[in-house]
Amino acid sequence: MQQLVNGIFLGSIYALFAMGYTLVFGVLDLLNLAHQAVFMLGAFIGWLLAVEFGWPLWAAVIGAVAAGAILGLLIERIAFAPLRGRPDAHFAGLISSIALAIVMVAVALGIFGPQTLRFPPGSFPSARVSFAGATVSVLQLVILAVAVTMMLGLNWLVASTRLGRAMRAVAENPRAARVLGINVERVTLITFMLSSALGSTAGILFALAFNSIRVEMGLAIELKGLAVIIVGGMGSLPGAMLGGLLLGLAEVFSVARIGSGWRDVVAFGLLFAILLLRPHGLLGRKRVREV
Amino acid sequence: MADFVRTYNAVLVFMAINGVLAFSMYAVLIAGQLSLAQAAFASIAAYTSALLTINLGLPFPLVVVVGVSVGAVVALLLGLPVLRLRGVFLAIATIGFGEMVRIVALNLDITGGAIGLRPIPKVVTLWQAYLALALCACFFWRLRPSKLGRGLAALREDEVAARAMGIDVVRYKLFAFTVSGAMAGLSGVLFSHFTRFIAPGQFGFERAVEALLYAVVGGTGHWLGPVLGGGFLTFLPELQRQLGVEAGWLRPFYNGLILLAVVLFVPGGLVGLGRPLGVSRRRRFGAAEKAAPSVEAASPAGPSGNGPLVRLEDVGKSYGGLAALANVGFCVERGEVVGLIGPNGAGKTTLINIVTGLTQASTGVVEVRGTRLRRTPANRVTSLGVARTFQQTKLFAHLSARENVAVGGHRVARDTFLRRLVFVPGARRDEASDLARADRCLAMVGLLDRADEPAERFSYGDQRRLEIARALCGEPALLLLDEPAAGMNHVEAQSLADLIRSIAARGVTILLIEHNVRLVMRTCSRVLVLDFGRLIADGPPGEVARDSEVIRAYLGTSADQPSSVPEAGP
Repeated sequence: MQQLVNGIFLGSIYALFAMGYTLVFGVLDLLNLAHQAVFMLGAFIGWLLAVEFGWPLWAAVIGAVAAGAILGLLIERIAFAPLRGRPDAHFAGLISSIALAIVMVAVALGIFGPQTLRFPPGSFPSARVSFAGATVSVLQLVILAVAVTMMLGLNWLVASTRLGRAMRAVAENPRAARVLGINVERVTLITFMLSSALGSTAGILFALAFNSIRVEMGLAIELKGLAVIIVGGMGSLPGAMLGGLLLGLAEVFSVARIGSGWRDVVAFGLLFAILLLRPHGLLGRKRVREV
Repeated sequence: MADFVRTYNAVLVFMAINGVLAFSMYAVLIAGQLSLAQAAFASIAAYTSALLTINLGLPFPLVVVVGVSVGAVVALLLGLPVLRLRGVFLAIATIGFGEMVRIVALNLDITGGAIGLRPIPKVVTLWQAYLALALCACFFWRLRPSKLGRGLAALREDEVAARAMGIDVVRYKLFAFTVSGAMAGLSGVLFSHFTRFIAPGQFGFERAVEALLYAVVGGTGHWLGPVLGGGFLTFLPELQRQLGVEAGWLRPFYNGLILLAVVLFVPGGLVGLGRPLGVSRRRRFGAAEKAAPSVEAASPAGPSGNGPLVRLEDVGKSYGGLAALANVGFCVERGEVVGLIGPNGAGKTTLINIVTGLTQASTGVVEVRGTRLRRTPANRVTSLGVARTFQQTKLFAHLSARENVAVGGHRVARDTFLRRLVFVPGARRDEASDLARADRCLAMVGLLDRADEPAERFSYGDQRRLEIARALCGEPALLLLDEPAAGMNHVEAQSLADLIRSIAARGVTILLIEHNVRLVMRTCSRVLVLDFGRLIADGPPGEVARDSEVIRAYLGTSADQPSSVPEAGP
């Protein structure tokens, strides 16, 4: 039971991160490999606000989310917008986002240094809750609540709002969307900002959950996030949630069964199996290729 | 000089090792594939070779051979399943593979786990590292102008079109992947036998990104690119040290900035900056022009067997519940010029895609030159002597007009790469004759004087003519033209009609899809009409033009305005 709770908890953070990934891919058909740097910077900015500036935790989290949105804007402007209209935009976007991620990680390294940062003791409420044989801290509950709220919020946004409808139109056919009077540029920008806000939230929540912030933290989750969106289906938001939960559970249980050293093999084994057997993922749509 | 070499020995060797790694990335990039498994290939080869040296004491040359082979075999085995994936999925799968290899190396006993392997004898000397680099460079220098190299470039530019030209896309990708694995393996062996120590962390995702960095910054347009990229970026930190600027974050920072700047502003990379070099080279290849491009027939493939060239029987195609074609049946006989008309959405392009193997019919029988198509890949259909143009032109945008057309000759050109690699003179002759054939086809469509210009610079109408030249270069028995006159003005359409007639006069059978009814009536000996996926007319132009059902399909009225359908031209 404790394992199950831990798995869901870890999985919700993976899911949140992966939703940011898959949102950009689903709407714009672009893979943004700078997403991991946003995750990492979200954690650092949250820490900076809470520890250095003395903000209360909730305000620091909100600050990190807002910073994430701004980072998303920068990523779109710097790494993707200049490529628009180039025939190799997909390919080049992949590379330019990797390049931007390298720069962002280097900047973080320059500012915060290579050591692991932690929140000082006593930063978190220490209350714990027990139910059905498992123990969770209040902090964990709050993290889970934030993650779930954001996921549901994003789903609602995409499914039911005017903006969401515009995003789906752009995903279907950008040129037709433009003809119909949708400001594709604006939708693109907002998609990136939302995506990065999610990534940054995942970062600060991860930092709170494990009380450990390092420059390399993005890299590990980037690879897992890729596994999650492949398993769930590229571009599918429910797929990213399902994939995140699956991965979280699989990891927690595999640590118990086969040892922590091999834990990550599970993620990539899953990734390979899905890619080869069902390339559009568990919940993804098959895209018909035009000739 | 000797002093310099001694002082900077390590840096100079690393410049070469990283150059070799850059070549391994270059191998896949020139085929348009982004794979990030290079570090994993290097890692597997590095561990294998190090274990062989430490435990068995094998001589170094043998270890190199084993390392290279291991890299190639692993790449081939990984490539078989993953190369079906397109674009980003391939990148993700290879990232996942790289991570798996790292985790395995971290957890096995034989690899020394996180601590790694040491000490490995340091046997790599400066000249050996540069010999390896030179061999890689030589490989790609010989590759580019060969049939194989041209095919890889075509694959990078447009995969669907490459397949339609008869290129076996899967085999070509596997080739690129295997070469990439071999070179990554080479870099891994050199690395382990120079640093004396290897650990899983040295071959992680960062190393794969470094390979990408070297190859992209160096430039993928020329075989010298990886040498420049690997050398330059390996030398920079040394320069930084000389200047006395020490900061751990600085190196990734400027590496990232350089990569970003190159991708955004100089897609050609460092070699792209030395443009004049490329131009002078291009000139020399223009030598083929001297092969007297007198307008001589590009002789079509001779008839094989009897019976119709194309036979469709009861063919249907549905997408989901939507029937794009139903019960279509007709034959095209040798030497005919058949027009296929019909309103938008009638299923004309679907029909062409079925005949060329780009899509499969859901029901019915399709035979091309006596061969029944059952999930037959497009490149195999092409090798039966079928060539096509596309409704939306699919040229290889960055290749010259001559190269575009030469790729079209894939079916009839001989492989030259292996002979080129060892400088057999026959290879050069074959290539010259391939280019001469391409020039004859260019001359036929009147574009020979612009043979060296990249296809993307051609006007819309000229691009369509270039596509026809490209299709002709394969010396097809059957030529399928998908709306060649779309977007052409009256005069251009007129000269297109002349061109089609002159192609037909050479004995090439033509299936012409067109909206321009006048053009069809003028050039075709027989006209087929499709409407909502069904064949509603089949006969000589004059007859079809008077057919009441055809008129209704086109005008949506009863047959009381027969004069609205253009009469057959002179």
